[in-house]
Amino acid sequence: MPEPLRSSARRPRGRPLLAGTCALLTAAAVAGCGSAAVGPPVLNFYTPADNAEGYAAAAEACTAEAGGRYSVVQQTLPKSADDQRLQLARRLVAGDTAVDLLGIDVTWTAEFAEAGWVQQLPDDVAAQVTDGTLEGPLATATYQDALWAAPLNTNTQILWYRKDLAPTPPATWDEMIDASERLGEQGLPSYIEVQGAQYEGITVWFNTLINSAGGQIVDEDGNVRIGEGQAAQQALDIMQRVAASPASDPSLSVNKENDGRLAMEAGTAAFQINYPFVYASINTPPPDGGGGGTFIDDQGKPSATDTGRRVIDEFAWAPYPAVNAGEPAKPTIGGLNIAVSATSLHKDLAFEAMQCLRNRDNQLRNATEGGVPPTLEALYSDPSFQAEYPAWEAIKNSLDNASVRPQTPAYTSISIVLSDMLNPPAAIDPAALAPQLVDQVEAAVKSEGLVP
Amino acid sequence: MSIESAPAPTTGSTQVGAPQGRKGKPVRSEGKRAERRLGLLLAAPAAIIIVGVTAYPILYAIWLSLLRYDLRFPADQAFVGLANYATVLTSGYWWSAFGVTMLITIVSVAIEFVLGLALALLMHRTLVARGLVRTVILIPYGIVTVVAAFSWQFAWTPDKGYLAALLPDGSAPLTDFASAMAIIIVAEVWKTTPFMALLLLAGLALVPDDLLKAAQVDGAGAWQRLTQIILPMMKPAILVALLFRTLDAFRVFDNIYILTQGSNGTGSVSMLGYNNLFKAFNLGIGSAISVLIFLCVGLIAILFIKLFGASAPGSEPTGRR
Amino acid sequence: MATTGSEDTRTRMWWGIAGLVVILYALIPVLWIVSLSFKTTDTVTDGNFIPRSWTLDNYAQIFSLDIFTSALVNSIGIAIISTVLAVVIGTMAAYAIARLDFPGKKTLVGVSLLIAMFPQISLVSPLFDIERAIGLFDTWPGLILPYITFALPLAIYTLSAFFREIPWELEKAAKMDGATPLQAFRSVIVPLAAPGVFTTAILVFIFCWNDFLFAVSLTSTQRSQTATVAIANFTGASQFAEPTGSIAAAAVLLTIPIIIFVLLFQRRIVAGLTSGAVKG
Repeated sequence: MPEPLRSSARRPRGRPLLAGTCALLTAAAVAGCGSAAVGPPVLNFYTPADNAEGYAAAAEACTAEAGGRYSVVQQTLPKSADDQRLQLARRLVAGDTAVDLLGIDVTWTAEFAEAGWVQQLPDDVAAQVTDGTLEGPLATATYQDALWAAPLNTNTQILWYRKDLAPTPPATWDEMIDASERLGEQGLPSYIEVQGAQYEGITVWFNTLINSAGGQIVDEDGNVRIGEGQAAQQALDIMQRVAASPASDPSLSVNKENDGRLAMEAGTAAFQINYPFVYASINTPPPDGGGGGTFIDDQGKPSATDTGRRVIDEFAWAPYPAVNAGEPAKPTIGGLNIAVSATSLHKDLAFEAMQCLRNRDNQLRNATEGGVPPTLEALYSDPSFQAEYPAWEAIKNSLDNASVRPQTPAYTSISIVLSDMLNPPAAIDPAALAPQLVDQVEAAVKSEGLVP
Repeated sequence: MSIESAPAPTTGSTQVGAPQGRKGKPVRSEGKRAERRLGLLLAAPAAIIIVGVTAYPILYAIWLSLLRYDLRFPADQAFVGLANYATVLTSGYWWSAFGVTMLITIVSVAIEFVLGLALALLMHRTLVARGLVRTVILIPYGIVTVVAAFSWQFAWTPDKGYLAALLPDGSAPLTDFASAMAIIIVAEVWKTTPFMALLLLAGLALVPDDLLKAAQVDGAGAWQRLTQIILPMMKPAILVALLFRTLDAFRVFDNIYILTQGSNGTGSVSMLGYNNLFKAFNLGIGSAISVLIFLCVGLIAILFIKLFGASAPGSEPTGRR
Repeated sequence: MATTGSEDTRTRMWWGIAGLVVILYALIPVLWIVSLSFKTTDTVTDGNFIPRSWTLDNYAQIFSLDIFTSALVNSIGIAIISTVLAVVIGTMAAYAIARLDFPGKKTLVGVSLLIAMFPQISLVSPLFDIERAIGLFDTWPGLILPYITFALPLAIYTLSAFFREIPWELEKAAKMDGATPLQAFRSVIVPLAAPGVFTTAILVFIFCWNDFLFAVSLTSTQRSQTATVAIANFTGASQFAEPTGSIAAAAVLLTIPIIIFVLLFQRRIVAGLTSGAVKG
């Protein structure tokens, strides 16, 4: 943006100043717009920072496939989902026409649709997207019986654990807390890593627990269901016990996904509730990944010296622990859907590119290189995928049992309110908090209350 | 983003000097009219920008605060009167943010005053390395708040920080309300004490040395000289410094945004306003919070002026005409 | 003065210790971030105040990131333009306030002082809505305008304090020689006022350089995002990389101009900050 700098070199004086000022401001204003490049339309595809290389590769592949009719350019958004939403939403409310395709978190579908920021899928596109796509991910792209986005990746949490510390993986949260406390008493790595920071992650934890206990936060029609039955109290009770246990990670109340992964790789955690990226990470050499984790000694404690044994040698996975024994957990479904911006100047081409970006090859690349599970059902029975993705079965099962987060335009408000009230988890008083959650979530659903 | 860069405080407004020695006369000569024209011409750009970028937006904010206006529900816009204010003022979040903000303001300004006074006395009196001291204390004043906040954040992060290493194993000070508030206050105090010290130093320069020497001869101890002579004589400078720092501390945002993101109940009113605007996209509620913060700041300024007799900013200097 | 030599040494020692405490107070947090910026990825979490192994990788890394280099350009450009405009406009207004009689002067003085105390957050919601409607959101002018506004009181006050120091007889003399007020202003006052203007420019630049709330609220992309916001949003170069080193390196770069100003213009900055109070 050289214009403003150049014009400011001369200092206008007296009367010409006003004119100079205006010229300066105008120059700076138009400099950003630039002139449209000649050639086929450029579709900007905004994606999260995680796996940006994968999305960029898909954009290139689709540009090649389009044969010169359009090109797709991948643009990277911030790493945290909150910041991504903030940036996308601000640009869309400002009417930015340079946003064509956007990777939106599964929880934003209702909000973006209701606000008119994204375009509903035309019937033919919707039919093609629906065909062969897993049901859970499709549900996350649906709002009021219409499809507003196309599932690109899905995501789900499973239990990652150290098989030297826990030969049989815990099947329930009670078992896991007991096991952790026993390990702590023996002075062994004992942490249960889960997302306890005040952000979306703790809402996901709560959503999984309340659904696993047979409850729900908000139903499909927007009615608040937290207060019904004992599910909320059960969920709150587990969260409080995990956080307050003497064997728990003292940083739990600020931990996000990456902190859990780091603690596991550093050898201080025995259990970790996390997404499949942790598997890709521990297998990636440093500095980008964990490089197999730290060395561990005979007992399983982290060791500064080369013991010939690393965390990865004991790294294993199992289904998400249940709340009630015998009732499988209902892990919250995550992932990324592609939507077409309502401000795009090339919506038809964008819908075409949308389908290309989520085709088999691109989803396979995202899975094997970025560690995010695909949304095309056929891939899960594909031997080449299974070979690259050893945890596929646990993940597929988890997806089949998945629970969806509340699909209301006010979801973000609900999540902010929940994450504020649930954090720090060690301070939760289940009996007192449950009724407060009902009040606050009810205000948030109607977008009447404040968000903290 | 901080008052450190606020205008040099003036004790009274005499410095915004009126033309000295000019008596108002009804006769308007040609030169007089030219002067008025030039004055208007020179002041016009400043006035236009001020009106365009503050006066108009604040009126617009008041209008927005009377609407139900949520960018996520564009079809659902309506005039709701004072309902947004009722929502905010009956919300626990507002009052907890208000309490947090008041706590930060009062504690940090109090500490800054004591430290700033000590620092001012040091700079005023020291025999050793006066220039060096005056130079280094400008670093906290000038450094970008976000940068300083990151320094504190990393320092207090377990395993990573040199300060966290001094604490017992397993403590994570940024994750607990009391210790996180203490760290926010430390960050605020560190950054702004130099500014306070410089303002007090300027006030200190007004205390005549003769008076202090005379008092010393009369047997007044150091403490007596401080409380009986120095502080009373510095009162105008002190009040202005306190007023500016109080108003600035009340809008604390950067440090909290970086250090805790407002978690564990450490959010200030500015954080609350920001979150309601940009996380909930609720322009109505967000504007109501904005207007309430504006009123709070006005109230604080009035309190200072009425209760403590700080010179009213913008008031006419006495004996100007 | 009956101080003996040894007492004098003792006093000097105490002043020296006190001075040292102040210097440590001011420098430790800065040195810490400098230290972090030179740490290697495997020692960044060791908690040592002094790096055990040194590297320039963090600096190399942030300069390889578009998001940081563009933010740096935005920060520098926006701060310089805002400073120039605020100082020019402020100089004119301060001169008018200090020297001329014109209607509305009192109001201008009062209002600009009000702005100095104005909570910026109160302007963020209306400015966001106005700027998105008129297309200024996420542009340079969208930030420059509020920066000028909030810098103006600072500029006006500091400058009018400096202007009172100027020997106005010279201006009168020039007028007697037939110069118009405007000519007198340009040929006599401007050169005399230059030091004050320069000081004001430094203070205004520091203010713009420092801003976070407006920048985080009124920008969203590399087109206008400033470095303070870019740092706060730093996520590391790759998916699993810890951004601590990059943040520290970027933080150090943002501090360099401040250090330069402080070292070169210490006296001016102090004078600028205290000019009003001293004359009180």
